[in-house]
Amino acid sequence: MAKAVIMPKFGFTQETADIIKWLVQPGTLVEAGDPIAEVTTDKVDMEVEAPATGILDGIRYQEGETVPVTAIIAYIRQPDEALPPPETEAPPAVAPAHPPAQPAGPDTVAVTPVAARVAAHKGVDVEQVVGSGPGGRITRGDVEAFVAQRDAGGSAKVRAAPAGRRRARELDVDVASVKGSGPRGRVQSWDVQAAHATKPAAVPTTEAGVAEVIPLVGMRRTIAQRMQASFQEAPHMTFSAEIDATAMQALRDRLHAGLSAEQPRVSMTAILLKACAWALRRNPRMNARLSEDRILVLSDVNVGIAVALEDGLIVPVVHHADAKGILELAAEVTAVSSRARAGKLRSQDLMGGTFTISNLGMFGVDSFTAIINPPETGILAVGRIVRRLVVMSDDDVAIRPMMTITLSADHRTVDGAIAAHFLNDLRSALEYPALMTM
Amino acid sequence: MRELSYAEALRECLRQTMTADERVFMIGEDIGIYGGAFGVSAGLLAEFGKERIIDTPISEAGLAGACIGAALTGMRPVGEIQFMDFVALSMEQIVLQAAKIRFMFGGKATVPMVLRMPGGSGTGAAAQHSESLENWFVHVPGLKVVMPSNAYDAKGLLRAAIYDDNPVIFVEHKLLYRTKADVPEEPYEVPLGKSKIVREGSDLTIVATSIMVQRTLQAAEQLAQENIEVEIIDPRTIKPLDSAPIIDSVKKTGRALVVHEAVKMGGFGGEVVSQIVASEAFDYLEAPVRRLAGLDTPIPYNRTLEYHAVPQVENIVDEARKLVQGGY
Repeated sequence: MAKAVIMPKFGFTQETADIIKWLVQPGTLVEAGDPIAEVTTDKVDMEVEAPATGILDGIRYQEGETVPVTAIIAYIRQPDEALPPPETEAPPAVAPAHPPAQPAGPDTVAVTPVAARVAAHKGVDVEQVVGSGPGGRITRGDVEAFVAQRDAGGSAKVRAAPAGRRRARELDVDVASVKGSGPRGRVQSWDVQAAHATKPAAVPTTEAGVAEVIPLVGMRRTIAQRMQASFQEAPHMTFSAEIDATAMQALRDRLHAGLSAEQPRVSMTAILLKACAWALRRNPRMNARLSEDRILVLSDVNVGIAVALEDGLIVPVVHHADAKGILELAAEVTAVSSRARAGKLRSQDLMGGTFTISNLGMFGVDSFTAIINPPETGILAVGRIVRRLVVMSDDDVAIRPMMTITLSADHRTVDGAIAAHFLNDLRSALEYPALMTM
Repeated sequence: MRELSYAEALRECLRQTMTADERVFMIGEDIGIYGGAFGVSAGLLAEFGKERIIDTPISEAGLAGACIGAALTGMRPVGEIQFMDFVALSMEQIVLQAAKIRFMFGGKATVPMVLRMPGGSGTGAAAQHSESLENWFVHVPGLKVVMPSNAYDAKGLLRAAIYDDNPVIFVEHKLLYRTKADVPEEPYEVPLGKSKIVREGSDLTIVATSIMVQRTLQAAEQLAQENIEVEIIDPRTIKPLDSAPIIDSVKKTGRALVVHEAVKMGGFGGEVVSQIVASEAFDYLEAPVRRLAGLDTPIPYNRTLEYHAVPQVENIVDEARKLVQGGY
């Protein structure tokens, strides 16, 4: 019995995943555990592994399609084994990026009985077969022709000379789309060159004045959807405070003095993380989320850190941040940030956040407001530390390293007073870190 | 410039080095009065005397061992194996002793010896006098293997081999001894470990050794009439192999063929092909890399069968044409 490959569920709230890329062509032998497809959830790119050793076959979803979790996406069969007959239709792709080659009719495909038997025996998904009988009915001949083509390698393998593949990479041409002039249709470098030359104006843009078209897929689409939803649904209140960073810097320097060369440096982000966690404990309503008609005040304090990627943004979460010391937090921030930039985040790195910090100080921003990362209640936007003239409590004027922090809070779950109280606690913790030991 | 045959060029090199350097001497079977089976040492006995042109009985292991011993004492011996086939008898001395001594003594002793030997078929000498065994030595660390394809290289490579501090297997070809080329009179060296592009072309790279360089040059002339331009590379030293020019050439032409006389199975061509496909040239290949080499058979005595046992000009033309015109 062929082993079904299902779309894994990577996160508790995940319902679908998009297939970015099939890494293995149908008909290829794979080992159990080999990556066979790249998929993307709304949070992270992952690989689907082969559940068994055998031949990948019967792919049900194409690249770009969105698939419900746990749906069968393909099979791993043994060489002498047929694919199981499709007793149920594959659940339709949620939002097919490419329309299926054959629009599946509302009824089942018309198949002659003998064709159905042959199809079942040969493991053919009849929906992939073009019928030549009356009214498009699939005949035994259609199924046999399909099997012959499939077994001959069909479209699965592209014959291309190494030079053809190299030229295709250089010119960004899909070798599969090039007609080969070499022996047995092998794609040569000059075929790719010719295909490239006849391609209308390289990558055509659909509209005048558009320099580049970036498809809204994967992470980009997730950011777009979530930020728009947050901005539309959550009434944002914003609160700013100017923080004297003298004590933070002193604390950082003091901690650095005690570190060995191999230990990760303590970033301002780690100190902010500690202070936020402490202030969230003191103001539990800021550590809450809205669920339908209830506000759920959460027991764990899990703080996410926004990490900028080349094209996108991801928020790995430091769990139980309130229970950890600054050095431990610094090490965790370093670890998750580098995992995030390497695209190697584990799904638990992305789950369970209750509050988010977005620090753009390193980009030279003085202050900004951030959009709440739903379903959280608050997000802290942190600007750079800059030396400013400050009027001190004794009316003296001093030069101090100052930093503007801006809290965005969801007015549905909290009111201004709670947010203000949280921000004041945060200021106290940052300016008098010893308070956090209380 | 003056033309010399391959055999005359080798003799001139031997005469010049022996005249200039007392450490150089020759040892071999029938190299004295008879002048060697192919006449390379003709006249040298009269010139240098039997102390320096040493005739031996049929004793390949012994004369190879004598070379090693002399080399260890600081001499620069040039041994001659009458037919390459009989080097089989010297293998213990060459492989276990000559190749290893410098390494096993941490460089305190060197074995600067040359063992010359004619290989190859085409003379009707049958299975025991026609072999091409060069790849045996390629597989032994500590040896160098030289295969001159023309008189000019023969003279220059032999001098470089004599002055190399490592044991050098110097493989000549029976059918090349009478081929002529322009050879300068003054002594010169052709460095070991340097490939040579002997013909430039854009459509196909052919790596050929020894007599196959000459056959490939003839094939290239025919192919040029069909507008197929072949680039020919002669490694000259097959160990150490200078593969960079080969790889660069394949990047240019996108196709490669290796031609040698020795048996294809387990032959030197497999090494060249491996180095090509493992290199950056892989991404430039328009076709499979092919070998054209000897059949996996002892060389037959029958003239017609002998002819067909190893690559000939027409075989090279056919194979090259097929590679360039999309036959593979």
